Amino acid sequence: MAELSLQHIDKIYDNNVQAVFDFNLDVKDGELIVLVGPSGCGKSTTLRMVAGLEDISNGKLLLDGKDITNAPAKDRDMAMVFQSYALYGHMTIYENMAFSLTLRKENPNVIHKKVLAAAEVLGLTSQLNKKPAQLSGGQRQRVAMGRSIVRNPKVFLFDEPLSNLDAKLRGATRREILLLHKRLQATMMYVTHDQTEALTLADRIVCMSMGHVQQVGTPLELYDSPNNIFVASFIGLPPMNFFDVRVDGDKLSGNGFQVSLNDEEKYTLAAYQGREIVLGTRPENIVIGKDVPAVVTMNENLGMNTLVHGNINGDPSVKVTAKIKGWTDYKNSDNVSFEFTRKHFFDKETTNAIRGGQL
Amino acid sequence: MTTQDEKLIARDRMRYIKNTQSANLCYLGILFNVLYFVNIYKSDVGTYYYNVLIGVSIVYNLLFLLAAFLASESVKSYVKNYSYALFFLGIMQFVRILIIPMRAHGATTIVNNETVKVMGNGQFFTCVIYLVISGLALLAAGYINLKKSNELTAHLKEIGEVA
Repeated sequence: MAELSLQHIDKIYDNNVQAVFDFNLDVKDGELIVLVGPSGCGKSTTLRMVAGLEDISNGKLLLDGKDITNAPAKDRDMAMVFQSYALYGHMTIYENMAFSLTLRKENPNVIHKKVLAAAEVLGLTSQLNKKPAQLSGGQRQRVAMGRSIVRNPKVFLFDEPLSNLDAKLRGATRREILLLHKRLQATMMYVTHDQTEALTLADRIVCMSMGHVQQVGTPLELYDSPNNIFVASFIGLPPMNFFDVRVDGDKLSGNGFQVSLNDEEKYTLAAYQGREIVLGTRPENIVIGKDVPAVVTMNENLGMNTLVHGNINGDPSVKVTAKIKGWTDYKNSDNVSFEFTRKHFFDKETTNAIRGGQL
Repeated sequence: MTTQDEKLIARDRMRYIKNTQSANLCYLGILFNVLYFVNIYKSDVGTYYYNVLIGVSIVYNLLFLLAAFLASESVKSYVKNYSYALFFLGIMQFVRILIIPMRAHGATTIVNNETVKVMGNGQFFTCVIYLVISGLALLAAGYINLKKSNELTAHLKEIGEVA
């Protein structure tokens, strides 16, 4: 397979709008990289630059050490799977999958073997004589993947392939992509705005915002040690809670609540004594306790867990969401107290994470 | 890959690839039939053709076009029975040589008190060539489809897809 290197890549459109700023990434052989971020953050543009569908304004793109920055798309040996499937409606599934190889004038018998092998991997063997209109969305997306697989490209590129599918099918197809990656051990770049897809699929995630890379790391790194408030708020569902607090000795004082700091947290915040910071805590890191009083505004039972929404001290400007284990039955205006079991600290000015290392 | 493997794969491909060879030959047959039909009445002189034959030939031509088109679609899917339909249509193209061109060739009719030839050599041979090509194309389409559908049926039996 292949190693991909994106070095200082910018994308500036003709109207001087810059969509991507200084993008740097080394994709290892067989790695599945997920580009995640909100709409308009430049993730699809980056993928299209890698595919050769957009020009690279500045920077270099290397595939196995070879500069392919200006190479046309057809010479890059990459296959792209689009959100809209891009299948030919008048062709059968077999013909769709064989199409790219037929254009290359490969031996029909070789094409046949490759198509059958890909169909077997994707569970499409019984569908080969059907037309795309006869298949479900998930099956069509598998056909689109099959069309890529038969080409045996060096790199697979996925541009939000599951966005057209309903929630159930999305989950099933996501697992298929993961199995496919494990089976093929192929280098893949995958674009999505869905953080669940990013967390479940990726070997490493690239989190982007406004054309800038915010953080590159494993799913756990992004979830557990976000670099800044953007990554912390984007990764995780429901999103992290944020509170403006002041560091007062061994306590953090917020608007109507105080939480105590352990030794490691005190060490981390040593340079911030007396200053305002942003305290972040994930809903799943909140339990019923005694530190933070709140007034319940909504109780959402999810089965295994309950999402308890409330206002701290009844102040509607300081909202909190807690993911409490089990089934709770709080009514609106009930008083409850929370405790934060895991805290994240962010500099209020730079929004970057405050990390002091371990004691 | 051995030649035996290649043959096996080629047969297996028929499960997913349409029989475009036969279908294209059908289209060729239709095309030359149309060329024949637009040429035959060029020699409309006097009242030579004004009899029941002109109606029959038009109706047959319409039926031919319909049948040949249906056959071209069906042979794409290796439907064996349409091979026999194509054999019939192909043979009929040769029979048609005897019905109008042969009779009109050399026949005379009186126009303005003058005796004129209905169909000259040039037009006669053109029409015959069109019908021969059309007939051969249809026969070939039928033969290829018959051969391939037999091969496909045998292959499907071999891999257990049909009883």
